[in-house]
Amino acid sequence: MTTKYKGTREAFAAAMLDLAEEVKNLVIVCPDSLKAMRAVEFGEKYPERYVECGIAEQCAVDVASGLATAGVIPFVGTYGGFLTMRACEQMRTFVGYTNQNVKFIGVNGGLIGGEREGVTHQFYEELAIVSSFPNYTIFTPSDPQQCYEACKLAVKTPGPVYIRVASGKEPDIFPEGTPFSASGITVLKEYGNDAVLFSNGFVLDRVLAAADLLKEQGINVTVADINILYGKDPSAILETMAKSNQLFTIEDHNINGGVGSYISRLACEHRPAFVTRIALTTYGESGPAKELADAYGFSPEAIADKVKTTLKK
Amino acid sequence: MTEAELHQIAQKLRLEAVRMVYEGKDGHPGPALSIADIIATLYFDVMRLKPEEPNWPDRDRLILSKGHSCPILYAALNERGFFNPKVEHFHLRELHSKFQGHPSMHNTEGLDMTSGSLGNGIAIGAGMAYAAKITNRDYYTYVITGDGELQEGVCWEGVNMAAGRKLDNLIVFVDRNGWQSYKSVEFTVGHNNIADRFRAFGWYTQEICGHDIKSIRSAIALAKANKGCPSCIVCDDIKGKGVSYMENNNAWHKGVPTDEQFAIAKKELGE
Repeated sequence: MTTKYKGTREAFAAAMLDLAEEVKNLVIVCPDSLKAMRAVEFGEKYPERYVECGIAEQCAVDVASGLATAGVIPFVGTYGGFLTMRACEQMRTFVGYTNQNVKFIGVNGGLIGGEREGVTHQFYEELAIVSSFPNYTIFTPSDPQQCYEACKLAVKTPGPVYIRVASGKEPDIFPEGTPFSASGITVLKEYGNDAVLFSNGFVLDRVLAAADLLKEQGINVTVADINILYGKDPSAILETMAKSNQLFTIEDHNINGGVGSYISRLACEHRPAFVTRIALTTYGESGPAKELADAYGFSPEAIADKVKTTLKK
Repeated sequence: MTEAELHQIAQKLRLEAVRMVYEGKDGHPGPALSIADIIATLYFDVMRLKPEEPNWPDRDRLILSKGHSCPILYAALNERGFFNPKVEHFHLRELHSKFQGHPSMHNTEGLDMTSGSLGNGIAIGAGMAYAAKITNRDYYTYVITGDGELQEGVCWEGVNMAAGRKLDNLIVFVDRNGWQSYKSVEFTVGHNNIADRFRAFGWYTQEICGHDIKSIRSAIALAKANKGCPSCIVCDDIKGKGVSYMENNNAWHKGVPTDEQFAIAKKELGE
């Protein structure tokens, strides 16, 4: 039975509750983040499987490394930047280099993830950082349902896994029961091959809306969600890339190191094409998620306009 | 094993550590010699180990948080039978060597954790100790840190966490030799009151001479008998202990003996 959830953070907590009986060696490691991770119920139900470390992310990652050496599967959940930046070295040396079976859930990914908290709590760099660490698998779910599935898949994925999550207020896109695509890609719209729009994370609903706007203007595109970044086998992504020589990437992340970099690399190495990257090149600011996303170039209209003007060149 | 026998082993390990650095022409002999007696007592008297099964789940664990001291640990693992055949020349820090510049758990049998970037051993050890509690295993986790190393903030994150989770199966040794890379700990931070600090954080804390096997043994016995909080054993040590020209001479934090110096070390360490 699946625990009910709304938003990505509750999806994480639900997945932990649903996995707990089956995966007896699963624990949650918290740098005072149990509430933020919506996992209080887990902590109350399994007190010894909730490992509190205090407000100390470096310690939490080190503790997780130590736990994993003894066959425990730790999920370290807190703000993505505090993991990947504050505890960057611990993630790299004591989990990545040692190839420990530790899972990370980094919340507040992107402007949309950090929204009104402001720049200290908005993170647009995590994927660039983690993607430079060998041994890591990176999951970027695009809605709560996919986040739930990503957490379940993480348990079956050996070695370090990083899952990028957001605020907990994300729109639902995928129908219940949709697996987390093992090929790293899900094609969601196939209006045509004028361009392929690759997205990841919580701007996906905006990219889908942009595709509809473009269709109304006679531009027919394909939209694909990239849910595994820098995966081992990119063949399914390459197949979709082959549909057009005009590729676009849209992500709520810095322009370096995320899905734009990934698609550019694949284009350079396997299938030359024009790649236009819509992403962040500045820090953000406080604001409601939708207004922020609109203000920083992720409105459906702005995305559609960028595609249209680029194709006209 | 008698105290005299353990002392003999410590001296042998010292010589092997100096030889390793001499042959490899690189490494940290002073910090290695400082902890030889602690390492000898742990690996040859205290720790529950199966060298033929290095990943035995019930083994006691050791994290050398001050990983640059690794020559003494490599020597102990070799002498304890973790490598088959026994190593004659370590090729320390050489390309593709089993003996990396700092400990790497997947390169070297018997290493329970990678280490070397200072500060992380206590928190990682806390994770191992917590794992023992929830998997119903009775192994102990030992950590060796330096006194200079305790300037790293993450040490105190781990100290907090271990106290908060009441990890009485975690025993931390602090190698208080008073020195760090450039100058003394006293010069660097104005104090070296480690025992006071650990006590203030709620740890059961003892202060001993880290070169006295009897004291090391009894401190470990008391630490094991202590329940409800983690243990710290502050060891007053001499950096470079056992080799006259290295003792308390911080030039040997990192350094390679000449042929003449190595001959003196061999003589002083009883070969």
